[in-house]
Amino acid sequence: MLIDINTWIGAWPFRHLEEATVSGLLKRMDRKGIDRAIVAHTGAALYRDPHPANVDLARQIGKHTDRLLPVATLLPQNPGWQEDLRRCHQDLGFVGLRLYPQYHEYRLTDEPALDLIDAAHDCGFVIQVPQRVEDRRTRHPWDVARDLSGGEIIEALRARPKVKWMLLNALGLAAEDLPKEANFLVDISRMTAVLQRNMQRLLDVAGNDKLAFGTGMVFKVADPALLKLEVLDRGKRVREAIAWRNAAKMLGLKVR
Amino acid sequence: MRMIDMHMHVKGAGVEWGWDHNDRIIEAADALGIEQIAVSIPVVRGMSTHDRVRECNDAVIDAMRQYEGRILGWCYVIPGQKQSLQEIDRCLDAGMIGIKLYNQYKIWDPAVHPVLEKAIDAGVPVLEHAGHATTRIFQDEQPNISDAADFVMAAHLYPECMLIEAHIGGGGDWEWSIKQLREAPSVYLDTSGSIIDERMIDMCVSELGAKRLLFGTDMTMEGGVGKVLAANLTKAQREMIFYRNWEAIVARRRRT
Repeated sequence: MLIDINTWIGAWPFRHLEEATVSGLLKRMDRKGIDRAIVAHTGAALYRDPHPANVDLARQIGKHTDRLLPVATLLPQNPGWQEDLRRCHQDLGFVGLRLYPQYHEYRLTDEPALDLIDAAHDCGFVIQVPQRVEDRRTRHPWDVARDLSGGEIIEALRARPKVKWMLLNALGLAAEDLPKEANFLVDISRMTAVLQRNMQRLLDVAGNDKLAFGTGMVFKVADPALLKLEVLDRGKRVREAIAWRNAAKMLGLKVR
Repeated sequence: MRMIDMHMHVKGAGVEWGWDHNDRIIEAADALGIEQIAVSIPVVRGMSTHDRVRECNDAVIDAMRQYEGRILGWCYVIPGQKQSLQEIDRCLDAGMIGIKLYNQYKIWDPAVHPVLEKAIDAGVPVLEHAGHATTRIFQDEQPNISDAADFVMAAHLYPECMLIEAHIGGGGDWEWSIKQLREAPSVYLDTSGSIIDERMIDMCVSELGAKRLLFGTDMTMEGGVGKVLAANLTKAQREMIFYRNWEAIVARRRRT
């Protein structure tokens, strides 16, 4: 069983993404043996009003809710996010939010952002935060979004330790600095099981319940994340926890 | 499938890369099935003294001796230093396999010409750190970094030289770099770097041909292997990238 907590569909204005559709994502998952995935719409990261992208994502997923778990993007500074959140929760089948403070010019600990996070948490949502979308060395000159700093992420975890955080595309978070009381998962897409061994560092310091499988598809290829699981020098229980159990637990999924 | 990682580094001479002991390199190679790893210790910021360059190369020679048969060495030099040609002789005599250049000079700069001529005489490859910046910050950080256009210029000056542009996955805009390299068929490109974007390796093969690609990791070991495995390649193409092209390059060494 594999649950990928870090996937996208949709066009990205700065780089061509091949078959960045629900069917394209499902094909990739089939090829790599990935059972389920949390998915967001790239348009939601850049639209002034992201909600139409949320609606489009739900429409594209259609009957594939057995495999794809959609996350929405809302802007804390936009009017009416409360109603959009209600629709995402009650009408559209979303399981969480993916927030991009670096593209929408706020900080996670700003009061309006915390209001949105609290309201989403009350809906039972997970809160996903990508530290970055693309590597800054490859960015289009108009893509000036910053990488979120470890300090900003940790500050948010401290401010809302009960929120179900999923930190995506993250690297450089010092395991010792992550608040022990916080409820978080870090996806493995930028971490390593060999050489630097920062997966092992996080397991040893923060616990076996803090890592989750994530690929970064359709921006990135899935094979590196699969290799990390394969070569990780930990027992079956730990590898299973990373592969799916930790994500399933946070999402409240019943998995056989 | 056999794999030879032609772009890696070792810790030594006071240079740290993020692992506690060079044994971790061998453990990682064993876990991933990599037979040999070619390493260097370049000076990555600014100029340096020849004594410092020599210290770096001595540490590489130590690693070659400590991990005989697994670690191969690149001779790092700063062109323009009066001792650089003797240093290349010293390092090649010690069993190193080629010349590593970093970002001190553009690869076409007249200061580099004697090094390229030396490489031609010895029949060894030249691996140079490279990247095409998309942002001012990146440009300002490394003003003399060579990009693919610089390699095209150098290849026109020295078409018989085995030039290798480093890390398509660590050198900024990879689409720009690949298209530019179409103009210099004698230049090789290595696949290393932390970027594991979809389409990247596929585009390298479709635009340049598998014969011009060399497998490397540059410290992103699961990612380095995974992105080549993920590409839509034939077995013969994958073999060329993983080891055959490299073996053909090493076989061109002239012994005196």
